[in-house]
Amino acid sequence: MHERLSFFVKRASLIHRLNPLTKVVLAISIVMIAFISPWYWTPQVLFLFGIIPLLLAGRVAREYWSFFAKVVLPTVVFLFVIQAVFLPGESRIIFQIWGLEVTELSLELAFRNATRIAVMISSFTILLLTTHPSQLMSDLTRRGLPGQFAYVIIASLQIIPQMQAKAQTIISAQRSRGLDTESNFFRRVGMFVPLVGPLVFGSLVEVEERAIAIEARGFTSTHAKTSLYEIPDPRAENIARWTLIGLVFITLAARIWLS
Amino acid sequence: MAVVKLQNVTYKYPLTDTTALQNINLQVNEGEFVAIVGPNGAGKSTLCYTIAGFVPHFFKGELTGTVEVAGNESSKSNLHDWVLNVGLAFQNPFNQISGAKYTVYEEIAFGLENIGLPRDEMKERVGDVMTLTGISDLADRSPYSLSGGQQQRVALASILVMQPKVLVLDEPTSQMDPIGTREVFGVIRTMAEKGMTVILVEHKVEWIANFADRVIALYDGQILLEGKPQEVLTSDVLMDKGFGISRYTSVARKAKGLGLWTRDSLPVTLDEAVEGFKIG
Repeated sequence: MHERLSFFVKRASLIHRLNPLTKVVLAISIVMIAFISPWYWTPQVLFLFGIIPLLLAGRVAREYWSFFAKVVLPTVVFLFVIQAVFLPGESRIIFQIWGLEVTELSLELAFRNATRIAVMISSFTILLLTTHPSQLMSDLTRRGLPGQFAYVIIASLQIIPQMQAKAQTIISAQRSRGLDTESNFFRRVGMFVPLVGPLVFGSLVEVEERAIAIEARGFTSTHAKTSLYEIPDPRAENIARWTLIGLVFITLAARIWLS
Repeated sequence: MAVVKLQNVTYKYPLTDTTALQNINLQVNEGEFVAIVGPNGAGKSTLCYTIAGFVPHFFKGELTGTVEVAGNESSKSNLHDWVLNVGLAFQNPFNQISGAKYTVYEEIAFGLENIGLPRDEMKERVGDVMTLTGISDLADRSPYSLSGGQQQRVALASILVMQPKVLVLDEPTSQMDPIGTREVFGVIRTMAEKGMTVILVEHKVEWIANFADRVIALYDGQILLEGKPQEVLTSDVLMDKGFGISRYTSVARKAKGLGLWTRDSLPVTLDEAVEGFKIG
């Protein structure tokens, strides 16, 4: 059985207890400030004094660092190298390699962009690690997000792993009938045809059944939906959200003012 | 009192010329357990969809005649209101999992959230239905991590929790192994014993003979036979038209030809067969 596609780690922590919307606003604000701030060191400061304390408060540091090592670090290092080499910078050349120049300015810009990206991925990772998808969607639905939209997001998260499992079954079935899945590239591309057909048509049939199943449970009901769990939203969090939005605007104003 | 009433119901799916149901007249009384049998393509599922309001609200197509449940007419109602009258569960338990919830407990509450039930009542109903269907120990599991029989019981619980007046089940055990089948039938039997009106499409005729009050044999979109389980399920007509019949009926029929079965009526269940074959 494939695992469901969710990063959520169940822990008792301050961050886990926050209202999901507060976490969404926090994540987006951190990213926006990192990107629009006019000061060079903002993304680095945000990483050290925003992301790391949040990880510790959320008690998800172990899960985060493993993701960091596997995904964030390689992405960021790759971006840094590419940008350091290709960003134009009319400044002191630090070194040259295969005719490409790495300048002081290109190095500075590459470092800033790389940390911006690191802050962005980290910020959303913390959101996903500490927020249960169905709690997030329940809260957003309560605030007026259409139920259908929330359903599509949650159902995709759960159904994609099921589709992968099914694709695997189809591959095994085709292999047992002699389909070559391990030879050269072109033959393997060809094998997608017998895979995609059953997968797509099978899924279309399932979609109809699933639609009936959720209709049978009043999915299109015009009553205001209720939620099984109470999702607390204290006044302090509302103030915190507006403060964060305020900070984004202040940063934007500073950027315009200083440019 | 009739809770389900179909009068002269004829139905054609969109873009087809053949009628899936032809002039169906059917009444089901409150608390009655009716089983529907028929070969593939006889219109069993279409009949289920019709009673459950999916024909014509979901499938569109041409429907004539009237479908009434608890005094309300299907064509004059909305599907989302109709599901409070009739609960529908079908074959594939996997496709009945909403996909929107992460635990069995949340999955069962999904329908109640949709109809806007207050939280306290929701929790009470979910707790009750989980006890009734014997799945309380699965509350925190992911619906996708369950066996077929467990998933089908979750699907049944998800419908029962809506407290419909009529329960329509379209081959709920067709994809189950013997253990899963027993689990699911256990729940259906409990519901029938509690006096719920149940309409069940099922191929396992021995099971029907034990529990159904009445059997309807459907063929080519029409009602071919209707009556007590024993009468309908041992009828010669059924055998000629390719219906699934009990192995005990087949054995006794052969035995009758050889003069080894002396009773007038043929058996459907093992107990009836044993009783009939007793010497002396």
